[in-house]
Amino acid sequence: MPPARLLCRCLPLLAVMLWLGSGLARAQVCVTDDTDRQVCLDQPATRVIALSPGATELVFAAGAGEQLVGAVSFSDYPPAAKKLPRVGSYNRLDLEAILALKPDLIVAWQSGNPMEQVERLQTMGVPVYHSEPRRFDDISTTLERLAVLAGTEAVGQGAADSLRSGMDSLRQRYAEAAPVIVFYQVWEEPLMTVNNAHLISEAIEICGGVNVFGELAALAPKISREAVLAKDPEVIIAGGMGEDDPSWLEPWKQFASLRAVQSGNLFFVAPSTLQRPTPQMLAGTRTLCSHLDTVRARD
Amino acid sequence: MISRRAIYSLLMLAALGVLSLLLAVTVGSVSMSLSELSMAVAGRGDPLFGELVFSLRLPRALAAFATGGLLALAGALMQVLLRNPLADPYVLGISGGAAVGALASMLLGLGTAMVSGSAFAGALLSTLLVFGLAQGRGSWTPTRLLLTGVVIAAGWGAVITFMLSLSPADRLPGMLYWLMGDLSYARSPWLAWLVLIPVLVVTLPLGRSLNVLARGPLQAAALGVAVKPLAWLVYGLASLLTAVAVTTAGSVGFVGLIVPHMLRLVLGNDQRLILPASVMAGGALLTIADTLARTMMAPEQLPVGVITALLGVPTFLFLLYRSR
Repeated sequence: MPPARLLCRCLPLLAVMLWLGSGLARAQVCVTDDTDRQVCLDQPATRVIALSPGATELVFAAGAGEQLVGAVSFSDYPPAAKKLPRVGSYNRLDLEAILALKPDLIVAWQSGNPMEQVERLQTMGVPVYHSEPRRFDDISTTLERLAVLAGTEAVGQGAADSLRSGMDSLRQRYAEAAPVIVFYQVWEEPLMTVNNAHLISEAIEICGGVNVFGELAALAPKISREAVLAKDPEVIIAGGMGEDDPSWLEPWKQFASLRAVQSGNLFFVAPSTLQRPTPQMLAGTRTLCSHLDTVRARD
Repeated sequence: MISRRAIYSLLMLAALGVLSLLLAVTVGSVSMSLSELSMAVAGRGDPLFGELVFSLRLPRALAAFATGGLLALAGALMQVLLRNPLADPYVLGISGGAAVGALASMLLGLGTAMVSGSAFAGALLSTLLVFGLAQGRGSWTPTRLLLTGVVIAAGWGAVITFMLSLSPADRLPGMLYWLMGDLSYARSPWLAWLVLIPVLVVTLPLGRSLNVLARGPLQAAALGVAVKPLAWLVYGLASLLTAVAVTTAGSVGFVGLIVPHMLRLVLGNDQRLILPASVMAGGALLTIADTLARTMMAPEQLPVGVITALLGVPTFLFLLYRSR
């Protein structure tokens, strides 16, 4: 066939392909973020920067780890996150480094990143998804929404569903369990706990526990040891400075009057599995539930 | 008349100021060659470089320069007024008042404009308190004014700690950046420049009267200076300068104290020279310090106060040691 005729025959096909291609390119994806703002992209994001270690983990879990081009210091999970180029720390962003990576989506941490800097990125035309998960369901929703923005719906939806069903089965299992009075220590100096609005408290509730300081007004209230002695919880659960460091439990052992100390109900749960709003919380909540089971068995 | 030496010093300082601004525009965590920079300035080449220069580096450098100038001028004015080398807006509680105003409005979740406004109100309230209380029933003396200022500053410090311990976790980071002073959160630089230049123009003709005032209010009065109105004017201007500096970049400490002293050690104590020189040296110091803060450990960003102290303390001690 002469080249000219070949071209003639193929032209309509080519036109259709171009039209389809441009149609795909114009297929806007839109989601609502945790601050109720619409985030719209002309096409699924290919260069994503996450501005907190938790956000990095969520982007990976949503199946968009391949599209991540930058992260902040201490983004250490999953291991692949350690290799990402750094763009400063979550509370001091290097805007130049961020722009130089030419991101087409930024996942910001609403209450942790400096808002002036994030707003500046927005005014410079970079779409920003503000993330602030407060409940377990928010984590699943975030996974779904990030997956939509990155065009990885299959993975993201799967991760969201398995988190939801995992939590639901724990919820059902402990729905009738005997209540256990729990004190959760989130920090040592100053001594800090969480109130009922916190995700950790939701985990305690799912396991059939009652957060002894749940009614306090602040999200992460500073308290005294005396207040803990007065409340006399059945179990003390603490995080720590590392993944395997139960040293925060030691100071409690001097208070022999505490029920928790008498029955040896002092437990450590790795902070990465309970203190970051990510799908890892399912594992942390399972550990927490098993500790509460131990407490019930000892009664 | 102003000597030739003074004019040379001012020109040198002006050149230093321009150089510091150029440096701030040229370096950053993204390295850019001079040809790329000139392309960006001409509006050609990679649009990324244009954005870096005009949207990030230039506004920040201008904010740094103006803030440094405001603080150094405020410090210079206060040291003359109180005839005390320790006087500066921080020691006298003006920036403490500004900080309390700003933090209170952040605690209430108000917007940026309200934060600036209440910082300003806090600075003015603090000024009135210090001046009013120091005057008491009799006349004020510099010692009494300084003591009142120091005690009021301590009071503001306590109020700040109280507010920080009460604030919810999600407001806390913003409030802490603000207290540390950091130009990466600098809002637009224009307000700072709009205040700096007119105030400098107003204070320049006052130089001669301030020179007399520096010898003491009695001598100044004997030489025909209206001491009280002059003192009020200087104190008012200094608090305006501080309030604007604090609203632009949070509480950046140290510049107001150290820059005028350094200049006095080198240039002598002629206010006609010290006031404009303070603006240029303070501006240059803060611009250079901020440039280092954002590039030294890039992409990690340091608070600018760390660098101003690291640069300023050894320089100051050296000058002080040499001047004996």
